[in-house]
This record gives sequence, C-alpha cells and structure tokens, in this order.
Amino acid sequence: MRVRLVILAVVVVLGGALVGSPAAAAPGSAPPILTIFAASDLAFAFRDLIPRFESAAGVKVTLVLGSTGNLAKQIEHGAPADVFFAANQTFVDDLVAKGAVIAETRALYAQGRIVLATARTAGSKLTALTQLRDPRIRRVAIANPAHAPYGRAAEEALRSAGIWDAVRPKLVYGENIRQALQFMESGAAEAGILALSIADAPAVEWVPIDPARHERLDQAVAVVRRSPRPELGVAFIQFVNGPEGRVIMKRYGFLLPGEF
Amino acid sequence: MDLFPLWLSLQVSFVATVFTLAVGVPVAWALGRRTFAGRDLLAALVVTPLVLPPTVLGYYLLVLVGRRGPVGRVLDSVGIELAFTWKGAVLAACVGSIPLLIRAAQAGFETVDRRLEAAARTLGRSEWSVFWSVTLPLAWRSVLAGAVLAFCRAFGDFGITLMVAGSIPGRTQTLPLAIYDHVQANRMPEANMLALVAAGLVIALLLGIGRLVRLRY
Repeated sequence: MRVRLVILAVVVVLGGALVGSPAAAAPGSAPPILTIFAASDLAFAFRDLIPRFESAAGVKVTLVLGSTGNLAKQIEHGAPADVFFAANQTFVDDLVAKGAVIAETRALYAQGRIVLATARTAGSKLTALTQLRDPRIRRVAIANPAHAPYGRAAEEALRSAGIWDAVRPKLVYGENIRQALQFMESGAAEAGILALSIADAPAVEWVPIDPARHERLDQAVAVVRRSPRPELGVAFIQFVNGPEGRVIMKRYGFLLPGEF
Repeated sequence: MDLFPLWLSLQVSFVATVFTLAVGVPVAWALGRRTFAGRDLLAALVVTPLVLPPTVLGYYLLVLVGRRGPVGRVLDSVGIELAFTWKGAVLAACVGSIPLLIRAAQAGFETVDRRLEAAARTLGRSEWSVFWSVTLPLAWRSVLAGAVLAFCRAFGDFGITLMVAGSIPGRTQTLPLAIYDHVQANRMPEANMLALVAAGLVIALLLGIGRLVRLRY
C-alpha cells in the first residue's frame, strides 16, 4: 500500500514538474531568438555588441561560448545554433565540407592576436616569452592546443621561441581561452598566453606577442544549415562586419577584414 | 538572478529518476533474483557509466542520438529530438545515475527471503503479483535509497549533459553547467549563490523524503 502511495506521490510531483516546467514554456509571441555559438575569445566583444544588435534588429540573442573545436563538433551533430563564430577558419571550412553550415554565408570577421599575460598578484610584468622560464612563474595558462585555436597559437609561439620543452611542465590547459584567463584571475596561474580580445581584465597585465610567431588566427563565421531563420544569422554577420560592429571589434584588439 | 538552471535541473533530475526507476528496477530484480546466461556480463555492463569519463560517455551518446546517429535518425523521423534539448539532458542524467539505482535495488532484492515469495506462490499468486505484494514491499527501502542516490547524481551531472545537451542558456543549461559558466566568466557571486541555493534545496528535499518515509542514510 505504502509503495503505491510513494509511486503515486512521485507521479504527482513529476506531473507538476512537467506542467510548470520552464522548458515546456513555449516561446509564444516573444521576439525571435537567435542562437549564436561563438569562440570564447569573443566573450567581451560580444557582450558589448549583442545588446546593440538586439535593439537594432528586434531579436533576442542567446550566446553560447566555448572552444571552437567543441562547438564545431556539436554543430556537426545537430546543435540548434543559428550562427557559428569560430576562432579559426579551418573549423568553419570543415563544417562547410560536411554540409553543416551554409557555404555562401561563410565570411571572415576578424584576425586574432595573442598576448603574454601576467597576473598582477605574481609580481612584475613579463615582457618576453623566454621569461616564462623564471622560477617565480609556476603555472602558465593557455587554452587546450588540441582543439582551441588560441591554444594552438600559444603552443606555436612557445615553440618558435624555443622554450616549449622548458615551459611544458608548467602549462595548464583551459578548455577554452576564457578558462585560461580564469585560471589567472583565480590566482592558480601566474602567467598565461591569452587572446588580446579578453586580456583587458583587471587581474592581468599583458604585452603583445609577435604575430610572426604563430599561424594567422583568421577567424571565420557561417550560418548553420539547420537554422530556421538564416536571414537573421546573415543580418548578425553583417552587423558584426558593418560600421557599428567593426568599431567594437577593433576596440577589443581584433584586426578586421580588409586590414590583414 | 536567473534561477532557470535550478528549475531545469530539478525537472531534469525528477524525470530522469522516474525513467531510471522504470528501467532500473526490472534490471535490478533480474540481477538479484534470476540466473541467466550473461548475468555477470550484464552486472558489469550496468556499472560502466560509473567507470567511463562522463565526457566520453556524453560524446558517444551524442554520436548515437545526434542527427547523424543511428538512434537520432530514427527518433528524428518520428519527430523526437533528444540531442541539445532538455530531453537530452534527461537521457544524460539517466545514463549517469542508473548504475547507482540498480546496485542499491539489486542488493535490496537479494536480501528478500525467498521463502516468503515461495509462500505467496503456493497461495496462487502470479509472479507479477508476488513482485508487487511481497518482493517490492520488502525491498522498497533499498529501492528508494537507490532512487535518492540516482536523483542526486542526475542533479549534479556535468560532463554527459554538456556533450549531449550543450550548455544553451535558457534551454539546456542545467545548474552545474550554469555554475561552470559563471566561474569561467569570473562571476563568482552568482556562482556561489547558485551553488548555495542548489545545495540547500537538495538537502531540504532529502531531509523531507527521509522524514516522510523514516529512512536513514
């Protein structure tokens, strides 16, 4: 008897959860939602940019940040993204080849830079990559080179400076570049190689790294083939590459199409 | 403060626990009460979700139920989409939590006195009726303890959910994913608050259930 009561109770609670569920709530007549998957180096720039697009276009944007490699994998498997901003064009080209994004919408939107960052709590600012060998630097945060373009660029820079093997034991990998910054903000890493676009954080100071030390970080975007509203995605890409978007992207240290 | 992730997590883990019970109890009963070919293999298989890294598990689930996957295509043809929806989060939570339920329930079924079941059979009860009127009432505390563990595991799942459901704010971003996102963006007060609210709520829930059924953990 008691067992059945418990089962009954569970069913009632479950029913309540389903009926009153946030996920069950239909979007209704609210403004259309545009879901943007973006490499996390865009975290700060898009925080500025998206509200402007929202009010200009009357759209609600959902921003999902992550590492380019993971986001690309998810889009390949049908993630409900409308637009995909990669930190490296090769991931977009790969998705074009797989038919997961619309080839005609592919566009470059920026070229990224990397910087050598020092946590303010770690003493004087590092000015050259070779200083990463200094014993006071115990941990160096970079994004995971296996799937994050900024991590790959960091590895290339360390190799070209001839200190990859020396610094390797100190490296801590963030799942994406924003996590690498977080490692520094939390005090877990004294130094790091970050994207210039997210390096203006209060907890760190930085110097630029010579772009000749790594492959170009040409960043590309495309509209996802599954998107039910590709015209909105195109509008957003045009906004980023338009006069208003370019001003913001420039402010966050990106080189813009036509400048590289 | 946006509490959507909290409600979503509660919903996902409730639904997942119900599915886990529906699938797990029969399996646990079979493991605890029956002898059949491949029984040991099945017993080992049910705990693999505990062994495999969650993200690995999540990736294979995604390959399976994603739009290109064999299961995903079949579901797609009948209009069901699991990957990157809250239902995908339910699937993730089920897979992660079912070993805990099965193990606990199996132990419970094994301790039920077989003579009582036999007595019920001599009184003309069907196997179905023996289960509902003898076995389950004697083992239900173990089943409930397993369900509570499963609920907690489902509530806290991170890796499997991240891969199968993504981390889409307002849609599939469950509480653990939201906290991770806050930490990454260095929004520590929000992260702490969510963690605190979640811990408080789940503890209250568990105490409530414990009071209700006088169960000790």
